[in-house]
Amino acid sequence: MGTAELIKIGISAVVFALSLVGNTHFKGLLNNANKDENPKAFKKLKRKKTLCFSGVIISIWFAIGVFVAWFSGKKSGLHIEFSMFGERSGVELFGFNLSETTIITVVIVAIASVLCVIFRYLVFPKFTEEPKGIQNVMEICVEAVENFCITATDKKAGKSLAPYMFTVAIYLILSAATELFGLRAPTSDLAVTFSLGLITFFLLNYHGFKKLGFGGRLKSMGGAVPAMRPIMIPLKIVSDIAVPLSLACRLFGNMLGGMIVMELLKGALGGYAAGIPGVAGLYFNLFHPLIQAYIFITLSLTFIDEAMESPEEHKKEN
Amino acid sequence: MAAAVAMLVALGAGFGMCYATSKAVEAVARQPEAASKIQTILLLGCALAESTAIYAFVVALILSAK
Repeated sequence: MGTAELIKIGISAVVFALSLVGNTHFKGLLNNANKDENPKAFKKLKRKKTLCFSGVIISIWFAIGVFVAWFSGKKSGLHIEFSMFGERSGVELFGFNLSETTIITVVIVAIASVLCVIFRYLVFPKFTEEPKGIQNVMEICVEAVENFCITATDKKAGKSLAPYMFTVAIYLILSAATELFGLRAPTSDLAVTFSLGLITFFLLNYHGFKKLGFGGRLKSMGGAVPAMRPIMIPLKIVSDIAVPLSLACRLFGNMLGGMIVMELLKGALGGYAAGIPGVAGLYFNLFHPLIQAYIFITLSLTFIDEAMESPEEHKKEN
Repeated sequence: MAAAVAMLVALGAGFGMCYATSKAVEAVARQPEAASKIQTILLLGCALAESTAIYAFVVALILSAK
């Protein structure tokens, strides 16, 4: 430990002692003071006590920062490195070198599956006709997603899509939460988001062809005017192919953007990053993914609904 | 440099989102009972407007990471 660290620790210790003494002093004064007698002086005392209390917290934080910076030997700096795809981990399966994100994904799926099994055998048998407690929460979640899917598409497709959409939402939220543990979120890997987009692409075509048939799908792609059909059909096919690309890039960009902001924050603070990135992480790793999961589901359902609609239905509605 | 130019697209996305949000606020002020419906449409519209900025961000990343 060099002299610079010793001086820093000494300063923080002095500030800590002074503000602790001040805090207890003003607390004693506050207990004796009468609020109704002199409200202005009371307010002044309270402000001084708050100042001393923040001094205590700041000095503790500073000391922790100095210790961590000395212990890890890391200096603050704004140099970050990232790649579009996850790094290779070195674990081999069937001759493929698995990436880090694949392993994190498997771990997430395993945790979710174990939770599912626990719920199935411990919580489900206790369910009653009148929901209460955890059953209430689960029923609200499931019902909300199912109603959402049914209103976005039609009744039959919505019911079959709801479980998948709920699974995707839980996967997106859990995978973003891994970033809180210092790992790279699987969704900030272009391969993962693109595979999710491809699943939506297959669902879109499956439901479109199932409902309308091959000829009907082509007809609905062509639009109402027969002369425009040779132009409209290739355009529609290109826009269908763009669906997984746009979904993948949107999710990937959002998640990677959040990760880069967090990395910059950690890099800028260096060893002093005790507690502060956690507060920012609540937004970037919990709230933001929630919105992104909602948007992913909404857009997937909108695209599926678009693939299913036929020109005849439009005429009926009008 | 090219990445910085690519990120200029964010200007357009910002204007688009601000326009959509201001209209949504007006609509909610006029009809508070339709707030939940407007909110859904606003989120979807904002996501679509945001996607241009996200594409620019991805392009900038591809340009800067070699």
